[in-house]
Amino acid sequence: MAGGTAEPAEPPESAGMTGTEEVSRLRGTLFEAVTLGATVFGLLMVGVLLLYVVNDAVRPLSADPGWHLVFFLTLVVPSLSVAAYCYTREGPAGEVAYATFGLPVVGLLVGAGIVVVFLEVVSVADWFGLALALVAAAGAIELHRRLRPYAALERLAVLIVAPLVAIFGVPALSVDRTLATPLTGTELFTLSFSTPKLLPGVPELFTSLPVLPLDWLLLVVSLTLPVAFAFGRIVSRRREDDRGRLETVAAAGAVALVGALVAPTVGIDAAHWVVLATTTLLPLGVYLEGVVRERAGLAGLWFPVVVVAGTLVGALVVETVGFAGPDPWLDWGFLTSATSRSPADAGIYPALVGSILMLVVIVVSAFPVGVGAAIYLEEYAPNSGPLGTFVTLVEINIGNLAGVPSVVYGLLGLAIFVRTFDLGNGTVIVGGFTVGLLILPIVIISAQEAIRAVPDSLRQASYGMGATQWQTIRNVVLPRALPGTLTGTILALGRAIGETAPLLMIGAAASVRTPPNGFFSRFSAMPRQIYSWSSEIQPEFRYGVLAAGVVTLLVVLLMMNGTAILIRNKYQRES
Amino acid sequence: MARNVPDDGKPSRNERIDAAEASGETGGLIETSVTTEDSDEHSTPGRTIIESRGVDVFYDDVQALRGVDMEIPENRVTAMIGPSGCGKSTFLRTINRMNDLVDSARVEGELRFGGTNVYDEGVDPVALRRRIGMVFQSPNPFPKSIYDNAAYGLKVQDKTDDIDDRVERALRDAALWDEVQDRLDESGLELSGGQQQRLCIARAIAVDPDVLLMDEPASALDPVATSKVEDLIADLAEEYTVVIVTHNMQQAARISDKTAVFLTGGELVEFGDTNEIFENPEHDRVEDYITGKFG
Repeated sequence: MAGGTAEPAEPPESAGMTGTEEVSRLRGTLFEAVTLGATVFGLLMVGVLLLYVVNDAVRPLSADPGWHLVFFLTLVVPSLSVAAYCYTREGPAGEVAYATFGLPVVGLLVGAGIVVVFLEVVSVADWFGLALALVAAAGAIELHRRLRPYAALERLAVLIVAPLVAIFGVPALSVDRTLATPLTGTELFTLSFSTPKLLPGVPELFTSLPVLPLDWLLLVVSLTLPVAFAFGRIVSRRREDDRGRLETVAAAGAVALVGALVAPTVGIDAAHWVVLATTTLLPLGVYLEGVVRERAGLAGLWFPVVVVAGTLVGALVVETVGFAGPDPWLDWGFLTSATSRSPADAGIYPALVGSILMLVVIVVSAFPVGVGAAIYLEEYAPNSGPLGTFVTLVEINIGNLAGVPSVVYGLLGLAIFVRTFDLGNGTVIVGGFTVGLLILPIVIISAQEAIRAVPDSLRQASYGMGATQWQTIRNVVLPRALPGTLTGTILALGRAIGETAPLLMIGAAASVRTPPNGFFSRFSAMPRQIYSWSSEIQPEFRYGVLAAGVVTLLVVLLMMNGTAILIRNKYQRES
Repeated sequence: MARNVPDDGKPSRNERIDAAEASGETGGLIETSVTTEDSDEHSTPGRTIIESRGVDVFYDDVQALRGVDMEIPENRVTAMIGPSGCGKSTFLRTINRMNDLVDSARVEGELRFGGTNVYDEGVDPVALRRRIGMVFQSPNPFPKSIYDNAAYGLKVQDKTDDIDDRVERALRDAALWDEVQDRLDESGLELSGGQQQRLCIARAIAVDPDVLLMDEPASALDPVATSKVEDLIADLAEEYTVVIVTHNMQQAARISDKTAVFLTGGELVEFGDTNEIFENPEHDRVEDYITGKFG
């Protein structure tokens, strides 16, 4: 190799140039082979592991060979051939096939998440009251903007106070304090008074109504119609008229209403139907309208049809012939039941809900703080002088914090949130804050990078127009940096949802039977649940249930990363 | 050497400058009668609006400008030419205090805008920039719609009454309205380079500034787009005071009434009527520069 001898593989044509020597590419070729080997090795290891886990979780070999054969013939072969046709023959058809299949799947998952929230965390009436309160607050802010367009400071106050008053009302005030001189302890006077509750919040007002409308009706108004209004914008823009929006809202409302009346007869809760129709049928309908209007890639529509028909036909054949299907650990029962002594009944539902609630706390706590810190460091912090040195020091240490082991963060969370602030041992909010701290440096760094990537020429243009620094940041820097920030944050959340060590430290429950019903109740999260299954005595826990839990966790993770990629692609195309 | 003056039916440089001079001498009345629609503006063409007295600019210890004295007349086009690194862009950015954004920059001397030293303590640079618009070297529209780009200044300056009319007028004044009136919702980034630069000019004039600073506005454009922008600048001078930095001496000769020549070291070597500078420069070095012996 060191000799660098001329490579025999060099094509003879190049030797035709008289008087040129051949250049050795041996080392380059070797290097390329080594890098390829490293890539393949890594992928292979992960692939093998995933294969094992999925095999344990789904147990495909427990089914009759006939069962596999039937579904192979009715489902796999037809759908693969349709997919292959779409991708090779018609460019847009492939995308249509992909979207019409993927949209309902993603929609159903999102819808299921929302249904879970309504089942476990917040009642529909509370949600509606909250939505009403936010609308009222937005109205108040807008009114203030119209009436006093130049009172910027006042508007900031309104921006903060209006939502608080709308949601919580003006609470009762009670003061009971004795003021004493610090040294002698002589009592000076006692201030003691209390006021009655002055103004109830909008949610309270709403839920205290004597007769509340039906849940599903509330959901149609507070969920379906606003979402349809937002999606209608796409339709309107595509058709270049204003009627598209109205028609979308009308169609969505009609589908939700009719479905809600029909659904209970087939055993589906009307409110659940409204949620699922909003997250699944509405985006699908809007997408289909575009496909049909542009008449591009219509062949792709066959793909979901073939998949659904193949599944139905396959199920019918299997049923009549009597082939036994597989007996997977990961099934509907696993996703919807709590863990149990017997492996066959064990499920992950409480931990799944716990993870999602914890994620909510993480997003609400880490995102604003992280983005705020990034804005300060990039836009406001001085670059020079002693303060500049301090800022540089801070930036370096944020980088170091990103590498601190997660168990240390667990200890920090235990000391601060559990012991000092007494937020409870192993509650959702403590878990969320602790893991939020853990991903904070990653959020800050990714937001900083996104802000740094905003071209300076845009800032200059904004300043040149006489914009203040705040206006420049708000109107130019933040919108441009948002997709990058979101991508980084979602990837960080992916890390957060898999963290186990901090949860062990703050005392998250090894396994809980009921999902948490609020942010201050004890919880278990998916990785914590998986960890406790790994030490069960029965082997079925360690091989079957654990694998099913891992697959569930990985699917949630993949969905989050997929969302991050979608956001990135969408904005890359736009700018 | 830069390209020749395109023979596109425009009056030659000398004719144009003569015409400009003529209108400058007698045009006080004529031009004010043209601009009376802006009743609150009492612009007197030719009167000094920006006056620089001994302006030094330092970046850390490096001196970028040395004692610049200059009087920029109202409603005229003043060009600043010179080789790269001579400080002409620095001077432009000194006028609307864009150099404040550079931590290491320090300004000494007096720069009066309408009688006030803009570096006095009481002067708010943001308020100053609202009266002195700026167009940059390479087109830098915001990644927003064409409408939002043109309306940006109006929105940040809270001038939101009849905003649609103001946007339309700005786009018309920037000779862009006919090309974009049907696609105001599209992103400003989808326009061609020349259109983007005219959008940036529209954005700057939408807020009706007193002065328009242009930092090599045509240097990133092709010849056709350049000539459109040049025509536009000539029209803009009827309403605005235009200060333009350019690399291109022919351009300065074509469009400007006054020319300032900066040479290396940040010195303003010569300042005067454009035809004087180009036909009969006082300094040999200026003559060498404009005849292309260096630069």
